[in-house]
Amino acid sequence: MSARPTTDQSERPLPAQVTMGLLDLVTSQSLDQDYVAVAERRRTAGERGADAPTDRRGIGTIGLVVIALFGALVVTAGLETARSADDRATGREELISQIADRRTLVEERRARVETLRAENEELETSLIEETSAGRALTTRVARLRMATGLVRVRGSGVKVVVDDAEGADTDVERVLDADLQKLANALWAAGAEAMAINGRRVTALTAIRQAGPAITVNYQAIRRPYVVEAIGDPDTIPARFVDTRHGAEWFDLQRAVGLRFTMTPEDDLTLPAAADFRLRYATSVQVDAR
Amino acid sequence: MIAALGLLIGLLAGLLLQPEVPLWLEPYLPIAVVAALDAVFGALRAFLDGIFDDKVFVVSFTSNVLIAALIVYLGDQLGVGGQLSTGVIVVLGIRIFSNVAAIRRHLFHA
Repeated sequence: MSARPTTDQSERPLPAQVTMGLLDLVTSQSLDQDYVAVAERRRTAGERGADAPTDRRGIGTIGLVVIALFGALVVTAGLETARSADDRATGREELISQIADRRTLVEERRARVETLRAENEELETSLIEETSAGRALTTRVARLRMATGLVRVRGSGVKVVVDDAEGADTDVERVLDADLQKLANALWAAGAEAMAINGRRVTALTAIRQAGPAITVNYQAIRRPYVVEAIGDPDTIPARFVDTRHGAEWFDLQRAVGLRFTMTPEDDLTLPAAADFRLRYATSVQVDAR
Repeated sequence: MIAALGLLIGLLAGLLLQPEVPLWLEPYLPIAVVAALDAVFGALRAFLDGIFDDKVFVVSFTSNVLIAALIVYLGDQLGVGGQLSTGVIVVLGIRIFSNVAAIRRHLFHA
């Protein structure tokens, strides 16, 4: 659309868009200038008496069509806006419900996290307990195995060597099973923690028996001289040995019968393990490991 | 009278047919409506001024709608669609207001 100034150029050299502010211009030219220009042209033509253009002041068919188009446009825009508003509202509701759903989900998950965390802590605690209990148990088992003689043990102690009297003729002058039993008992009483006779570990199930001329330990015959190794305090065992009844008896035997007896302290003794024994009838009463 | 009839026809047609506007055209519809509104009010004012011309009306209507849509399209392509729409709305709004004021002066002689 041309924004041609309506008045004569020579009278007003500056066009309106130069002299006026933008908003003023927009306001003053709010009517399409074409209407004015066409009316002007028609008037001058009429004045000149020339063939006046056809009167187009009526709305005409095409104007009618345009007006109808305008109505349709307005209605369509309105409908479209309403529809999109509906869509938007639906989308909004959908989103809101989704948010609510997710929020509930998050709540659930959070609660689950709490539960799992508590469970985890519980398990951790129990694991630590189990571990320490297991460790204690292992220690206890190791200790018990040492005490029962099922493992090789090592430590300081004493070595006792006994033998028949020189030139022994009668059983009295020989070392008998009872004598070895007494010796073992006296050593136990003197504080021995582990013992072996001629390399055979003495345990709670050990039997020291006479079998004809030979003595058996753990049902295996041994030969003289009899070497009894006992792990314990080498400083106190000899003194305490003498104080025991069987120890005193041994000294009597040594003095009266002539049995040979020597006890020497040892710094480093290693005792073998006893053969693993299986208890077939005895069962533990105390189940709790602690 | 004829104009009112045409408007009625258009409104009815729009209501009855409910044309489906393609999605790409949707953003230009409101601005086209405002531009058309400007053309219609301008025509009404010209009619009351006694200088109405149907050819001018048709041309101004069509060009208004097309240019408004074009400006918004251009703005969308440049990433300033919102701002350009605002500019168009401001200019057209001022024109509509002053045209309506002129119409009011004609009708109420105030």
